[in-house]
Parts: sequence; structure tokens; C-alpha cells
Amino acid sequence: MSSGATTPAGTPPAGTPPAAAALAHATAALARAALQGVLARLAAAWARRRVRWAAAALALVVLALAGTGWDFEAVAPRVAVGAAVKPASREAKHLLSERERLHAALRRGVPRGPWIVIDQTHNRLRLMRGDQTLVEAPCSAGSGMVLKEGARGRVWVFDTPRGRFEVLSKSENPVWKKPDWAFVEEGEPIPKDPADRLEYGSLGEYALYFGNGYMIHGTLYERLLGRPVSHGCIRLGRDPLREVYRAAPLGTPVYIY
Amino acid sequence: MRGAALLAGIAGIAFAATAGSAPDRPAAAASLALKREVAQLRRERDLSAGKAFYLRLDAGRQRLTLMLQGVTLDDYATSGLEWGVPEVLFIDRRPAAGWDTEAISQGRLDPERQRDRLEVVAPAPAVGEPEHPAGATPSPPPAPKSAEEAYSVPSPYRIVFAEGISLEVRAKGDGRRNRSLPRRLADAAELRLADLGSALGIGSKDRIRLRVTLEAEDAASLYRSLPPDVGLTLVGLTPR
Repeated sequence: MSSGATTPAGTPPAGTPPAAAALAHATAALARAALQGVLARLAAAWARRRVRWAAAALALVVLALAGTGWDFEAVAPRVAVGAAVKPASREAKHLLSERERLHAALRRGVPRGPWIVIDQTHNRLRLMRGDQTLVEAPCSAGSGMVLKEGARGRVWVFDTPRGRFEVLSKSENPVWKKPDWAFVEEGEPIPKDPADRLEYGSLGEYALYFGNGYMIHGTLYERLLGRPVSHGCIRLGRDPLREVYRAAPLGTPVYIY
Repeated sequence: MRGAALLAGIAGIAFAATAGSAPDRPAAAASLALKREVAQLRRERDLSAGKAFYLRLDAGRQRLTLMLQGVTLDDYATSGLEWGVPEVLFIDRRPAAGWDTEAISQGRLDPERQRDRLEVVAPAPAVGEPEHPAGATPSPPPAPKSAEEAYSVPSPYRIVFAEGISLEVRAKGDGRRNRSLPRRLADAAELRLADLGSALGIGSKDRIRLRVTLEAEDAASLYRSLPPDVGLTLVGLTPR
């Protein structure tokens, strides 16, 4: 048998002060009345057709949202299948030889000699041979700056181009033939005599020209290597430039991304 | 009695049919897989013959490689490769078989990478004056920001291709720390809305989405350096 401490619902336990008991009783009564009121209002609202439609539409929207989105599943890698195919089948033979032919075509695309890769976003240059990295060094690619000429309205954008190029020519102690923008940028008049465009020493010891006026060359500002500060050419430090110059013959592919 | 004989006959025919086709099944599956492999290689050969950059996602080796004309430019280890399709009212829309060997091109980043370009208006040329007054040296221009300083990287981000295929790249580890909390909350809300919209076919033509996870540093590096209009070739995906 229990001790008799339990009481009917809503009845204060024995020993509760009369005022507190009355308060608890009143609170319970109020809560009951409020709940009954809400239920009655809901019932009255439900009786109206418009409310029923709205509730049904809301339920549909919730359901639609719950079941709408993207359904993902993990990818299981496919296993190699060549050996399982019956070589006797004419179609299988054709497919296997086609596969070999395609693999060979893809291998042919990879350079046999050295090649240069330049990540112009992170300003890194790598000289590669096969899978081996021969030289890796910070460089400076195009700053992306836009130069506007006030008087004639010409605009230059100092970007390094992306794509595949080739070393077209190489030179020691290159001389820079300054283009118009170099004078415009400095606020200097553009010279009429081509000899006034020549500048000595600013391109470092070596230059590897890869087309459209772009080169891999040295710099006077080695402290800025690793940052995009050039006018589109690739600036490289003295030692890596020397190694690249020696290892990369004419025709070396240059990949810039 | 006649019913039992009929049932036995049907069972016998079914057994014979099953027993007869069993050895051919692996060969047929292997032949189908070989066809897919050859189709994928053709796609890759076409991409390597073009001038556009492309990504090679190898499910077997778990690598994502940036390539140009068959040459590997950058290579990232991937994990957790998944692929998904939009689901509308609990019904998913699976693509036709062979979608992974079709041409996938013109990939662009979403959200787009913003590049702040410094614009300089050149000073008027000074005629008849010395280049620089004696003793004065021109002040060097401010050093531009490095890639890490210039671009904040969202996680996840997507590379959306013209054919309705997208590659979602997620960063493993602390890949999101380079974006402020309000920015990350905005990214997440935008992503959910975009997901809902693309599933319903509003605004986006996404029909297949691949999802990979990269190390945070790799995910950031790919986001910062991805060339525009990349292609995609998929290797070793299992058809759903």
C-alpha cells in the first residue's frame, strides 16, 4: 500500500496552506478555460472552408519542401574490366584495340623533354621533366592592373595570358625595348627615336621569349617574387632563371594557368 | 495433378533459362564497362586535343587533376566522392545511362571569384622636364595582394558546367575559417535556396551534381587558380 501522499488531480496535497491551495486551484481552472477557448476557436475556424483549404495547402507545401532537394549517394569506383572480356568476341577485340590506341594517343600529348608550368595565381614556376620537378621557384606574374591613358584614351590590362606556349627564343643580357605603356605609366613622353626605347639591365641576365611580347626574365625586385607585380611577363629570381635558361631549349612547352 | 505438372514445367524452364544466362552475365557487364571506358577515353582524347583547360576526376585513384592538352598542371587528392540528382516531391530524376562519358564543358565557379583590379590613370607626360627631380626617387606602387590575401574561399563552392552537371567542392578541416561568420551564414542560406531552386528547375539547369572533399588548402588553391571555361572528364564512375 502507498502512504496516501497522492491526491486526485487538481486537489492540493494535505498540509498545503489554504491560500496557496486556492491559488493553485484558480490557476488550473484558468488554464483549462484558456485551452477550451483555443480549442473552441480552432473548431470554429475549421468549420470555415477557407481555413481548411489553407491548412491543406500549408501541409502540402511542407511535404513538398521536405521531399525536394538533392539526393546523394557515394560513388563506388569501377573495377578494371579488360581481362574479363572475351577476346574472341569481335566487338571486344575492336574495343580493346581502340582502348590501346586511345591510351597511346594520350601518352603522346605529354612532353618528352623538359616543360615549364606556371601557376600565375600563386606565382610559382616549375620546370619539369616527366613526373620529376627539376626546379620550383616563386615568380611574379601579371598584376592585373588597368592603366588608362588620359590623353589618347588607350587602356592596358597587365594580365599574364593562360594556355600553352613554347619557348620561341632565348637571349643573354636581354635589352628591353620599352613599349608605349612603359612611358605612359611613368608620365613620360613617348620617344620618336627607337633607340630611346632601349633599356639595359632591367630584365636580368636571361630572357626566354614565349610570344606576343611575353617573356620569362629576371628582375631587379627579387623581394617582390611570389606576388603578382609584373606587366604580364614572368619574373624569376636569378638562380632559378639561370637553371631554367640552361635546361629549357627552344621549343620547350610553357603551360600557364 | 495437371496443375502440379504445369508448375513443375514452368519451374524447369525458369531454371534452364537462369542456368543458361549465368555465365554470360559477367561477360556482358564487362563488355558494357569496356564500352564506357572507351567512350571516356575518347572524351579525354578530345579534351586533350583542344585548347581549353579541363579537370579530370578519377574515382578509382581518388584524384582531381587540372590538365591542359594531356599534361598535368595540378593534382589534388579527393575523398568522399558522391553524386546526386535533384529530388522533387520524393521523386528523383535520374539521368540516362552514359551521361558521364558525354562532353562536359565551360565550367565556371559559383560563387564567382571576384578580382579587384587596381585602375590607374596615367599622369600627363611632363615635357621638357627631367624625369625625376634631382635627389628624388619615384615612390614604388603598393605591392599587390597575394592570392591568399586577395580571394576568400567559400566552402562548399561549385564548378557549374554548361551541360547541367556541377562539381561541388567541399573543404576538409578548417576550410571555412577564412570567411566571417555572417558571410558563412549567408553562404549557407544561399546554398539551401539554390539547392531548392535547382531541384525545382528554377534559375539553374543543374541535373547532376558530383561532390568531392579536398584538403582545405587544396580546395582553396583550386578555387583561386581555376581557369575560366574548364572542361571535365570523369573516370571510373559506377552507373547508378
